[in-house]
Amino acid sequence: MATDSFENIDWDDQEVSTINVSRTTFVELGLFALLLGAFLYDYLIIQNEGPLVANWDVLSTDWLFIATLITMFFHIVLPLYQNPRMRRFYWNRFKKNQIAVLAGVFLVFIFVVGVVGPIVMDPPEVRFTNRIVPPAGITATIGGATKTGTMAAPLGTDAKGRSILKLVVYGMRVSMQVGLIATTFTVVIGALVGAVAALATAIDVGWLDEVLMRYVDIQAVFPSFLLLLLLVYLFGAQLWIIIMVYSLLSWEGVARTVRGEALQRSSEAYVTAALASGANMMYVVRRHLIPNSANSIIISATVSIPGFILGEAGLAFLGFSDPTVFSWGRTISNGQTNLSQAWWISTIPGIFLFLTVLSFYYVGEALRDAMDPRQQVDSGGGGL
Amino acid sequence: MSTEPLLTVEGLKTHFHTEDGTVKAVDGVDFDVRRGETVAIVGESGSGKTVTSESVTKIIDIPPGEIVEGSVTFDGMELSSMSSQELQSIRGERISHIFQNPQNGLNPVYTVGRQIAEVLKIHKDGLSKRERRRKVVDLLDRTGIPEASARVDDYPHEFSGGMKQRVLIAMALARDPDLLIADEPTTALDVTIQAQILQLLEELQDDFDMSIIFVTHDLGVVSEIADRVVVMYSGKVMERGDIESVFQNPSHPYTQALIECLPGRGDSMRRIEGSLPDPTDPPEGCRFSPRCEYATDGCKAGDQPPMYPTDGDETHTASCVYYGPEHDAGVIEEIGVGDQQSTRADGGERQ
Amino acid sequence: MSETLLEVRNLKKHFPITQGLFNREVARVRAVDGISFTVERGETVGLVGESGCGKSTAAEAILRLEEPTDGSVLFDDQDITTYDDQELKGFRREAQMIFQNPDSSFDPRMTVGESIAEPLEIHGVGPRSRREEIARDLLDRVGLNADDADRYPHELSGGQKQRVALARALVVNPRMIVADEPVSALDVSVQADVISLLKDIQAEFDLSILFISHDMSVVREMCDRVAVMYLGEIVELADTETIFENPQHPYTKALLSAIPTLDPTRRGIDSGLTGEVPEPSNPPAGCNFYTRCPEVIQPDAIDVDQAAYRGVMDLRVTLKRQGIELDGLREFVGLDDDQTPSETDIADMCSELRREHDIPDRLDDREAESTLSEALDQIVREEITDGVEQLGELFESPCERTNPAPRPTSAGHAAACLHYDDEPVEADTGWVPEAAQGD
Repeated sequence: MATDSFENIDWDDQEVSTINVSRTTFVELGLFALLLGAFLYDYLIIQNEGPLVANWDVLSTDWLFIATLITMFFHIVLPLYQNPRMRRFYWNRFKKNQIAVLAGVFLVFIFVVGVVGPIVMDPPEVRFTNRIVPPAGITATIGGATKTGTMAAPLGTDAKGRSILKLVVYGMRVSMQVGLIATTFTVVIGALVGAVAALATAIDVGWLDEVLMRYVDIQAVFPSFLLLLLLVYLFGAQLWIIIMVYSLLSWEGVARTVRGEALQRSSEAYVTAALASGANMMYVVRRHLIPNSANSIIISATVSIPGFILGEAGLAFLGFSDPTVFSWGRTISNGQTNLSQAWWISTIPGIFLFLTVLSFYYVGEALRDAMDPRQQVDSGGGGL
Repeated sequence: MSTEPLLTVEGLKTHFHTEDGTVKAVDGVDFDVRRGETVAIVGESGSGKTVTSESVTKIIDIPPGEIVEGSVTFDGMELSSMSSQELQSIRGERISHIFQNPQNGLNPVYTVGRQIAEVLKIHKDGLSKRERRRKVVDLLDRTGIPEASARVDDYPHEFSGGMKQRVLIAMALARDPDLLIADEPTTALDVTIQAQILQLLEELQDDFDMSIIFVTHDLGVVSEIADRVVVMYSGKVMERGDIESVFQNPSHPYTQALIECLPGRGDSMRRIEGSLPDPTDPPEGCRFSPRCEYATDGCKAGDQPPMYPTDGDETHTASCVYYGPEHDAGVIEEIGVGDQQSTRADGGERQ
Repeated sequence: MSETLLEVRNLKKHFPITQGLFNREVARVRAVDGISFTVERGETVGLVGESGCGKSTAAEAILRLEEPTDGSVLFDDQDITTYDDQELKGFRREAQMIFQNPDSSFDPRMTVGESIAEPLEIHGVGPRSRREEIARDLLDRVGLNADDADRYPHELSGGQKQRVALARALVVNPRMIVADEPVSALDVSVQADVISLLKDIQAEFDLSILFISHDMSVVREMCDRVAVMYLGEIVELADTETIFENPQHPYTKALLSAIPTLDPTRRGIDSGLTGEVPEPSNPPAGCNFYTRCPEVIQPDAIDVDQAAYRGVMDLRVTLKRQGIELDGLREFVGLDDDQTPSETDIADMCSELRREHDIPDRLDDREAESTLSEALDQIVREEITDGVEQLGELFESPCERTNPAPRPTSAGHAAACLHYDDEPVEADTGWVPEAAQGD
């Protein structure tokens, strides 16, 4: 078999195209198309009246969550899977931080339980006969009555008799959804905008950078909380509205950070080389700037997730969140009145919230260290 | 005037302990520097020339570096066994350094005058503020900075690259050291500026009566300023001698190969086959043997050959078996720079 | 089909310096200020100069990686400055670039094979397996191992990376390669390797090379013809050997004198240049080089020693650019802030000014000496404008008034220097004179 050489390319046959799509991207886009199709079907044809697939009434938040999971799969799981060297390298450095590994395990647990739990468990039911029962094995006196917890409700019940355990599990789902969806949107939009702005300056299209960054400045001072209140007032509190407000109005920090790192990368020779070979701006952004700004992106993400989770919990605590959803914040808020006597209602969800946020910080810090280029060994000449 | 060398380095070995193994950066180096002379240490990257120069005053990072063996004797004092406090009183005072990149040597938030004054103060010069300022201006003037009295209050960013290097030279000379160690001081500068700086160093050497160790990869620069030269490769010395001897009769195959690699000398540019040895696992025998066109089996075993005198001159030695008792030095072709076409044109009337 | 592959005509690249809310232009950095030259098929032309001369910017402007401010670039007789995006992408296959720093030339997250194949990917050559095969074949041809395709850039040495850079440049089968200081960051022995490789590849594929460098020795080894640049302009252009054996322009001569030689018995490098390179945002009026030129032309009215004249010119340049720091001078002669200088002080300050600028105590020409003394006196007495005017009247050089266009010299090639004003017109030098440029 004769080796193909660069001299054999028949350039007249080649089309000078400006768009390049790889196979994986094709599959990903296909999945999104499918999702969109299903959404339109559910919304327009069935009019959201009944369950879509096997007893599952897909809610608005669920659509967003599926989209997020697809994105995460194709851009986190798949690259790690396809690149064992990179995976092992980063894992070796990450696991030096033992607390972070522990935190990571905890987060994986939360994720799995949060996704799977509400599928296998029924939602918390109101049972007035079972109100304010302490966790299993603990005895407490409330309003004169002494009760001891049982395994029927291992973490006790709240003022309306709902199992705290179920509330916690459903709360995990909510937190996961808010954290991941909002962060994914934020990171995708922010990274794109930041990288495009950086490259624009590098290739002399400075006005684009100006325009984008001035918008970012405006968005940074935009009172999204007030907008949220307005929307809640107009449309009632729905989780997907909250998530969308977060997603679309919180990406300015990521944009700035990514722009900073991408600007540095833009002056590297390999960017000029790609341009000299005929690449257009979006190719360079996609192929070179964003992957090499991955450090900033990942770090922004790990800081954003807990931020959003806390944000939503805070809103729920104040009563602005979706009443049909069992957010930790809401549960904590509801337990306020009985704090001294029925401490478990607020405290247990509170502990979970605290541990989740803390875990994200630890994991984020360990990731940052694992990816710090300064700790990478320099190769090659000079100095000796 | 004593005839003892000012600095003697014997059997110096500096190793670095890294994750990938122990880098034997300097693995047995001998040379000396007499008063008032310029000794050039020449080599490519990985040769160990910079680490050698930094090991003299121990300004390498310890750890991961370690001076495993060897002695460094300066004016009768044994530097290799000194504490860091004792060494601090020598650095800047009796032995000064200048480095390659003038951008990094100066602190951007202080004026140039202040930074030089700091050097004076650290070594307790006993001068009044006014006297010290005069001295700083004088130093700047002597290193060729025009309008020194005005520029003493300028910040580093107001100077060009060549000017910054002059300021750094002024700082290095502030305490009138006996020895100046210059590590590639002109590599980052334009060639016309390099010419100015090299001239300046020559003048200052006379004015201040000091010795210079000049570390470089540029054979041309060596030829212009050095009295004696030490050729290093892979942590060891390959050849050593007077500048004229070494250039007119380069003896070690590596020195010859290096000269023949230089471009712009007509059709005689050649390449060196192979690549640098792994510093954590250097080859047996002569370090250059894997790439040497004259290498025999004997060259690839045992230790690096001792330094044999070449062409009857005791002071010009090469670490090559062909100059030893068992082989004929005539095998190694003679090349000399006298008959090389030089890049510099004679078309310009200078001097 | 002509033999000329590339023709650059009066190329300019200016960078505006703006101020204020509406980006008002207050100055321009004239990085490239009107250069013209040609590159024939299979030829290597060198663009040589020190930092700030604009050679790298010129390379980028020629490839339209920076948009030229003015002038035209003809590749195969077509003006690429007028190309649209589609045509420009086609051009990018014909002319490729290699860069100085091997460490930043490659995306650290891509394997070497992927980097080489990237231009193919950009131009839609597929499938992936074919690109890989081509990349591996190329690796072989540049003297590396085909298996190196799976390695990452940080695993290779500087020399190996430059070979990969060459492979990447070759993959689209270009007709011209612009090499921007390709060996400057490499060791001497590795330099020789890469230079040999470049020559071999050039011969094998009949490539034209535009070779940018500051290293005259490398240029002498690689190039057929050389253009010397200073502050955005070409000051001399000729065959390589001619430039080295018989340089005509004072800057070229200075550059060559500054190169260290290998022969220790022939020491002495002295470029003869004083002062700093002027800012490209503020180039001198007239000839760009007059502020440092050792052969700056004296006005007819005076006749002094050339070195002394250069000193006076240095003084005038200092006065024009930064001004004289009188406080420093006063301090130098030992005056306090409010003391009035005595006559001796004045004389001392004048001597110091002379000394700083290498002007002898007395000039030969009597008129020149008296004007100079008077002017110095005025300057030291803080009548600076008068002093400057006085000096300017008598000492102004014709080099300050006219920016010399390239004109033929007796050596047969062109140089941009007023010394050659009266030379007769000579043969073709590969340098397009301004008169011949249309539009």
